[in-house]
Amino acid sequence: MTRLVDLAQVLRSKNAGALLCTLDMMFEDEETYRRVRDSGAITPQRIAKLYGVSDNEVAIIPYDVAYAIKITIPRLVPSGDPGDTDVYGAQQHAPLLDIEIPD
Amino acid sequence: MTELRMMATTGMLGYGYTEEAFRRGISLKPDFIAADGGSMDPGPYYLGEGVPFVSRQAIKRDLGLMLEAGIEHNIPVLIGSAGGGGSDPQVAFVREVAEEIAHEKGLKFRMAVIHAEQPKDYLKKKRAEGRIRPLGPIAELTDEGIDETHRVVGMMGVEPFQKALEDGAQVVIAGRATDASIYSAIPLMRGYEPGLVWHLAKIIECAGQVTTPRFGQDCVLGTLGDGYFLVEPGHPDKRCTRMRIAAHTLYENPSPYHLVEPDGTLVTTGSEYEQIDPRVVKVTGSRFEPANSYTVKLEGVRKTGFRTVFIAGVRDPVLISVIDEFVASCHERVAGEARSLGISQDSYRLNIRVYGKDATMGPREPMRDSVGHEIGLLVDTLADDEDTSKAIMAKARYALLHTDFPGRKCISGNLAIPFSPSDMPVGMTYGFNVWHTMELDDPLEPFPIEMVEV
Repeated sequence: MTRLVDLAQVLRSKNAGALLCTLDMMFEDEETYRRVRDSGAITPQRIAKLYGVSDNEVAIIPYDVAYAIKITIPRLVPSGDPGDTDVYGAQQHAPLLDIEIPD
Repeated sequence: MTELRMMATTGMLGYGYTEEAFRRGISLKPDFIAADGGSMDPGPYYLGEGVPFVSRQAIKRDLGLMLEAGIEHNIPVLIGSAGGGGSDPQVAFVREVAEEIAHEKGLKFRMAVIHAEQPKDYLKKKRAEGRIRPLGPIAELTDEGIDETHRVVGMMGVEPFQKALEDGAQVVIAGRATDASIYSAIPLMRGYEPGLVWHLAKIIECAGQVTTPRFGQDCVLGTLGDGYFLVEPGHPDKRCTRMRIAAHTLYENPSPYHLVEPDGTLVTTGSEYEQIDPRVVKVTGSRFEPANSYTVKLEGVRKTGFRTVFIAGVRDPVLISVIDEFVASCHERVAGEARSLGISQDSYRLNIRVYGKDATMGPREPMRDSVGHEIGLLVDTLADDEDTSKAIMAKARYALLHTDFPGRKCISGNLAIPFSPSDMPVGMTYGFNVWHTMELDDPLEPFPIEMVEV
């Protein structure tokens, strides 16, 4: 097993508009990208559990041309609403770091 | 088909660009230069207040070089989403800066100022026609919701830019606009392939973001030809890489393959990216699928109350070990104190965030039980008026400082308060309550154009 943080070149989060949060993971080379993409470790069920949302609120889009996987989930509250914790949504990626990818 | 060249000076007017890159870009004779001036990233406040989130000096510097070069070379200068949110006061702010620059440098030009703020009556009419719909997880817009809004802007497409240019404007200061419309307006007027136009526009609107090395903002050039486009940095020491260009459609979008614009969708599933020299990337195969109807996005905010902020540290290990219960008991105590002041619990909001525990991710934090030797409390109160906001904060500060907890030994005070004064009123706050689409028959209708001879 290898932790995702040790395989990805980029692991980031950001608002996709005021209502959604998008999580991007990007890889240095095609081999690593395919290994993660095809690992079965990045599933809506898994992400839903990590972020406390329901499965059908998670969208996962592999993006072969940039060796990237994009995940989009709803924000807890709209950006900047009372109670928001992260207006830009730039620090919501940490739970992804520890996802284990089979060797 | 001859090539058409455009230069994006910066991803955000006021974030800056190097003069070196700009001069080099200008020497390559772009057909127009442009910059996006807006973003909703910084949240609802700036649209609500109608103020920019960059300084006036920075806007003046970035716009000054563009206006001077644009007039000298007789090419259009386009600014979209002026002032950050593209609302009337923000557009007026940038317009005034442009006029000041013109006056100081002795420049003369025809300028279009395009408005994007939407009157409530107009929104109600559109709502009654069933032409306003939620964009994502947000409630349907109602007349009450419209009445509640403080300010709403519509996001224009290419048409208002094109109309302004047809009417002879050389400089366009536009209100809220889709980032890509700023760069697509002119090439579409000249008949370039829409798929390539929109894709190039989408890539260069963030300017320096697609270049390597990546320190700060800088100019990027896009060149459209027959069946392709090229992207290269303005700066001679920077490069565009195939990867960086391909990855750009991931940024801040829910999907890298489908990017929605008012009159259709850019589809990049067939796009191919080729590194044709160490600095330049060539893209082919992007498509644009026209939509059946023309829709613009609406962004609107309502007032959410006056905020007062207070920050303090906790170092006492006993208190850290019972912090959740302690915070809960302080909430209760503040509610009681508020009642004694005649302030009901539903007329204020008190939020106590525990940094070092779960303040960044809230209920999504998986490691909330792993706490270090020190935590930070960030407290904020919201109320309809500033006095109430401050009164609640004063009570909350006192409660946090002096409320007992099991095993307490630090009986002279629970907090390390770094500042005097400790309570910081930050003024009115706003929240997004309009994040919808609005269908139009005429893409120009909600975006009146004002022509000014500067």
